[in-house]
Amino acid sequence: MSKKTYDLLFKLLLIGDSGVGKTCILFRFSDDAFTSTFISTIGIDFKIKTVELRGKKIKLQIWDTAGQERFHTITTSYYRGAMGIMLVYDITNEKSFENIIKWLRNIDEHANEDVERMILGNKCDMTDKRVVSKERGENIAREYGIRFMETSAKANINIEKAFSELAEAILDQTAGKENNDNQERVVVDRKNQEKSPAYSRCCTS
Amino acid sequence: MEVKDFSNEITEDQKNRNKIRCQYCNCLILNSASAHYTDIVFSLPLVHQKRSKSIDDLDTEEFNQYWMIEDMYTFENIGFSNTVGDYKYLICADCEMGPFGYHDLKDKKCYLALKRVKYEN
Ligand SMILES: Nc1nc2c(ncn2[C@@H]2O[C@H](COP(=O)(O)OP(=O)(O)O)[C@@H](O)[C@H]2O)c(=O)[nH]1
Ligand SMILES: [Mg+2]
Ligand SMILES: [Zn+2]
Repeated sequence: MSKKTYDLLFKLLLIGDSGVGKTCILFRFSDDAFTSTFISTIGIDFKIKTVELRGKKIKLQIWDTAGQERFHTITTSYYRGAMGIMLVYDITNEKSFENIIKWLRNIDEHANEDVERMILGNKCDMTDKRVVSKERGENIAREYGIRFMETSAKANINIEKAFSELAEAILDQTAGKENNDNQERVVVDRKNQEKSPAYSRCCTS
Repeated sequence: MEVKDFSNEITEDQKNRNKIRCQYCNCLILNSASAHYTDIVFSLPLVHQKRSKSIDDLDTEEFNQYWMIEDMYTFENIGFSNTVGDYKYLICADCEMGPFGYHDLKDKKCYLALKRVKYEN
């Protein structure tokens, strides 16, 4: 039998229109002509990342859609077990921002009702092409009582921060209902803990 | 097949003595004593593929020494590729180099080639 070496496991999803940058947020690979690594041929399904928050060792399992969003066929099976959702739009694409409302409704229909949500306005590096102001992002987030952040997967702005904030929100929520369900996810063994910064990029390049 | 001597890395109870890291960016993949040595034979795609290669036509390399990981959540940091046949390949969660090993969808276990990772505490 293997011992559990973590305290909590959070399943996170990325949702939003096609082209807003979800895959880039999860996946560092950029589709430049020179990449020829193995993964650029096959593509990524999900990642497991370990973060430490308030002394708890948390495993984040982060999933990308396999492009189902193009056909608006994201259904219950993709949402199953999700505890956090990153709802992404593109600040240079008005339509992707308007569709946030649609995605919120889709989440209401298919996801757990207590799923933590966070809105990301991605591509904030493209200042000259911006059509959605930061204020509009903040307003919609406030209206729905959701966290909000502008990010850039390309310039690596706020990506790590967004994931650790979402994880923290889920942690707050789980702490609130400790001792109820979730027994299975909870601690067994806290030895071997290592301080690894939240969502660190350990590459030196 | 060339067999590199990994005896220093394997404890008496067949576990990994040291931490396992990405050989490219040093990202922590596994803590010590969290994988089990096994001498299974399996071919992994090469890390660098020619641009023209398709999924069914990848160049591979055979390995006969693997670390077996029972539960995928034992990993500190790891990426899973899309499914190819009965497998998903394991890549670095940070720099996305790999594959370092594979996940077998039938037995649900993960395997890392001893030669494709590095050992450093
Ligand atoms: N400038 C800029 N381009 C981005 C950013 N994120 C993604 N992109 C580009 O947007 C396009 C779509 O990204 P992708 O991740 O495939 O979107 P998805 O369909 O939501 O998964 C790609 O050409 C990316 O290079 C970003 O933060 N800034
Ligand atoms: Mg995508
Ligand atoms: Zn790496």
